[in-house]
Amino acid sequence: MAAAAVCWALRAARQVLPSPCPRQVRSYYVDWRMLRDVKRRKMAYEYADERLRINAIRKNSILPKELQEVADKEIAALPRDSCPVRIHNRCVLTSRPRGVKRRWRLSRIVFRHFADHAQMSGVQRAMW
Amino acid sequence: KDKSAASKDSTPEGAAKRQDGAGTPKQQLLDIIGDMRVEVTYRKKLQQLKASENKKRAMNKLEGPDSEGSVPQGITEDTQRGKPLNPELVKAASAVASSLPRNKKQTESELLAQLRRHEETTDKQKKGGTVNICNVISEMTIKRQSPAQRGVRVSGRISLQLDEDGQRIKRERSSAQSMDSRRSLKVGKRLNIFTKASTEPEHALKTVSSPTIWDLEFAKEVAAVTAQPPRNGFEEMIQWTKEGILWEFPIDNEAGMEDDAEFHEHIFLEKHLEGFPKEGPIRHFMELVICGLSKNPYLSVKQKVEHIEWFQKYFEEKKELLQEI
Repeated sequence: MAAAAVCWALRAARQVLPSPCPRQVRSYYVDWRMLRDVKRRKMAYEYADERLRINAIRKNSILPKELQEVADKEIAALPRDSCPVRIHNRCVLTSRPRGVKRRWRLSRIVFRHFADHAQMSGVQRAMW
Repeated sequence: KDKSAASKDSTPEGAAKRQDGAGTPKQQLLDIIGDMRVEVTYRKKLQQLKASENKKRAMNKLEGPDSEGSVPQGITEDTQRGKPLNPELVKAASAVASSLPRNKKQTESELLAQLRRHEETTDKQKKGGTVNICNVISEMTIKRQSPAQRGVRVSGRISLQLDEDGQRIKRERSSAQSMDSRRSLKVGKRLNIFTKASTEPEHALKTVSSPTIWDLEFAKEVAAVTAQPPRNGFEEMIQWTKEGILWEFPIDNEAGMEDDAEFHEHIFLEKHLEGFPKEGPIRHFMELVICGLSKNPYLSVKQKVEHIEWFQKYFEEKKELLQEI
């Protein structure tokens, strides 16, 4: 009985605890702007469904216009960070707002650094 | 009748042992047999024959090894004073003996002895389990040293010690293996010598209270100690796969997606439109919504139903506004 309880607790602990092997764990974001961007992304994910539905009511030619005006007001009342337009793709490592390649989510400088050290798979210096 | 049966049983034994003909007990036996009526069908006779043959075989096996020769005799001597046999059985035995071409007296005596033994064993089994020695010994075989092995062993002593040991060990191993292969453990009838140890009811009701803090701490300690860092890249990948960082290969396109709904549940969504008015722009709008949802492969049925229900709730709230229009 005690063994069973311990086993259960073990399983729970394993799921909760991160494994203690030496690995880089990023617990801080590079800067506050990156953190704000992260918050915006989370909010946008939460409110995505609602925004989609209210927009479906708004961008309509069938429903009466009064209803659409009400929907306009409703969507404006949602928190500002919930709209996806405010998300800005920053560099993942340096939080640089400009010069970010979408495929790698890295700024040009970091990309170049890794590619020259042959740490980017399939990336080669162009020569033709 | 008991007395006559007892006396008759004792006399056939004596007759078998003496092996001499004539004498008053035989005459008495013949008279008794002649008086008794035999009402036995042919099938019963056959069964009795088969039973007697089986018992004879068992008896032969018993009497094979010399040490066990004394056992059946002991049993017969004991059972002479035991319960007298069923008179019907006796009748059947006599009928069988008469049908057989061999020495009738001997066969009959043997049959009766077998029957008595049978009765005794059945009585014993009714009371409690007995270890039928026939069963035990039938499975065992006598270990016979072949002359070749003996020769090897003798010659081995003369030759070098290494060779001797090597040969001996090899032969013994091979012989042991061959013996084991011939007599596997699970072959044969159950002997019921050992009582089955009652396993504790492991599935009994265990009121597992929520593990205490100490239990959790202990569990964490154990997890921390046992989770060693990976020794190589393979173990690292295994760990990552367990954590969910790495996908499982070959890649399963439907990993994590457990949509058990049939296609018709995705496409025919009109049954969810029951809460809406049948006429008007709202119905028109909802039909368009449903058309779009039916073509959407990325959402699960649950999500689609939630979508429609959200609209229903929304329009319910705006009902007053809609009435004004």
